[in-house]
Amino acid sequence: MKRPTRLSAGEKLVLTANRLLDGQIVWRDAFGQWLPQIRHAETYDAESAELALENAKHNAQRDGVVGVYEVAVQDGSAIEPVSVRERIRAHGPTVHPQFATEA
Amino acid sequence: MNAPVGHYQYDQIDRNFLQSRIEEFESQVQRRIDGTLTEDEFKPLRLMNGLYLQLHAYMLRIAIPYGILDSRQMRKLSDIAHRYDRDYGHFTTRQNIQFNWIRLEDTPAILRELADVDMHAIQTSGNCIRNVTSDEFAGAAADELVDPRVHAEILRQWSTLHPEFTFLPRKFKIAISGSPNDRVAARFHDIGILARPGVDGTVFRIFVGGGMGRTPIIGQEIFDAVPEDRLLATLEAIVRVYNAHGRRDNIYKARIKILVQAIGIEAYREAVEAELALMNPDHYRLTPETVAAIRARFAVPELVAPDNASEVLAQQRIADREFDLWVRSNTHEHRASGHIIAVVSMKPAGGIPGDATSVQMKRLADLADVHSFGELRITHLQNVVLGHVRQDRLHDLWLSLREVGLASANVGLIGDIVACPGLDYCALANSRSIPIAQKLGARFGNADLQAEIGALSINISGCINACGHHHAGNIGLLGVDKRGEEFFQITLGGRADQGAAIGSILGPALPEDDTVDAIARIVDCYLGKRTAGETFLDTLSRLGDVPFKDAAYEAV
Ligand code: SF4
Repeated sequence: MKRPTRLSAGEKLVLTANRLLDGQIVWRDAFGQWLPQIRHAETYDAESAELALENAKHNAQRDGVVGVYEVAVQDGSAIEPVSVRERIRAHGPTVHPQFATEA
Repeated sequence: MNAPVGHYQYDQIDRNFLQSRIEEFESQVQRRIDGTLTEDEFKPLRLMNGLYLQLHAYMLRIAIPYGILDSRQMRKLSDIAHRYDRDYGHFTTRQNIQFNWIRLEDTPAILRELADVDMHAIQTSGNCIRNVTSDEFAGAAADELVDPRVHAEILRQWSTLHPEFTFLPRKFKIAISGSPNDRVAARFHDIGILARPGVDGTVFRIFVGGGMGRTPIIGQEIFDAVPEDRLLATLEAIVRVYNAHGRRDNIYKARIKILVQAIGIEAYREAVEAELALMNPDHYRLTPETVAAIRARFAVPELVAPDNASEVLAQQRIADREFDLWVRSNTHEHRASGHIIAVVSMKPAGGIPGDATSVQMKRLADLADVHSFGELRITHLQNVVLGHVRQDRLHDLWLSLREVGLASANVGLIGDIVACPGLDYCALANSRSIPIAQKLGARFGNADLQAEIGALSINISGCINACGHHHAGNIGLLGVDKRGEEFFQITLGGRADQGAAIGSILGPALPEDDTVDAIARIVDCYLGKRTAGETFLDTLSRLGDVPFKDAAYEAV
């Protein structure tokens, strides 16, 4: 399902997916690489995200990822997803701190 | 190997089938990895093999038919947790186990390992008849009228890969019990079956159209006394009517409960009877020979105990107060003298309900070998049962459980919280369920306090799908999303037993910490207003929910 792309002030979009082989959450950087740390993610405004999303979906199999979609983030000193769900995806389950994504 | 106590022993046909199914799935995985299959094509195939893609990784849900495992199977689960996952597993409210950190490429190897111990992940997803659940005290409880496991196994064999019922309008859940004390939530299932002795053998009372989720409904009796030989025909006809008339245009209206509500139970019964009249009764007849052949593949435990076993236990309870507290909450009366049923709580104060480490799983397997004929049961309340423990050895068992942090004395009490994985793991969630369960567990962790509060269930779901069965909790919590924040709606008065009831919403949803405080005030209100011998539900039904509502929201 395509997430709504209406953005509030200070918000941008990043692209995320799961890695096909192990399901690990990844974020797309400026070079089209998929990396586990959200801090590497390229940020887009709503318009440029659309093209990037299309491109990423097109290359998903080649890039070994599945379920590509956009996530709204606060683009401050650090990139931080707006929703609780995406914050948990970015940083790991809150109830198992030992499984937190390495920063 | 000898037949296991408690569950059916596979034959060569079962094993050959599993091997070919794994080969098929292995080739599907390979084709997904090389791109021959798209994700849209692969998804229904992986789900039919129990493999979900959740929030952080793939999740593999493994079927535990009627919740019963033998020790070698539990050891295998421990081993899989250790080698392929992050050293733990999660027991679910459907008596299954799931692993949260599985790699797609490892899945065929894991399924092979499971097949080595006669296990699989079929019927744990998809719009089919799911893994059949049963009474966790089956074949052991003193209050049981009929041991439901043989019929649970018959239902498993009938429903597994049933060609007509592989693409039902929606998933379909069946539970079966043989006790007048409903421990399977029969009235909250698509079909709930209660077995009892009849004049000419076992008869089955059947409920249909119960369920939780977005539209909680209590199942209605469709037949009071179906004879054994007609059991499969009757079930076949019930599911056929649903398969033909259940809605496929709207996922929220696709369960059998909506159909039964729409046409009424009388019309549904008539439709089933009309279907039965068209069926060849011989083809579906469950003969005594078939039942006997299945029964023969279950071993019977030799329940021999010394004459003074009960006396020894009584002495140990007097000598050790902490043990006595545990015996009060965590045991159930056994049908055989000198024996007792022990429930191992998987709810340590502040812990994650239903989680077990690989070490704990292995230890449970060892303890099952020593104390319960190598047999374990997973309950829909996310605990583990050792069904046939000698009373004079119960203290030894308790001491061993203590060593691995599994001796919480809280079964049936407020600390015995049922919670779904919620937003920490589940892709469908609105809110997290585990952190609030941990906070409540810690708040009420003291065993004396729990004993004083008495019987009180808390059930928590992270979204309206209700996997944490919040509708049936004496106190139910439903996680909702309010402008991106996690809030909890409180319901009171739910219960899943023979007096099944759906909890009523108390008032506006509250943030997590306020919810924990509100529940503490609800419990205080109950303690202040109860009369001697009253449970929480008794007081609630005597006073109504107004005083509890006033207490819950007084500080908000
Ligand atoms: S109730 Fe919702 S959040 Fe909880 S496990 Fe089910 S689908 Fe996921």
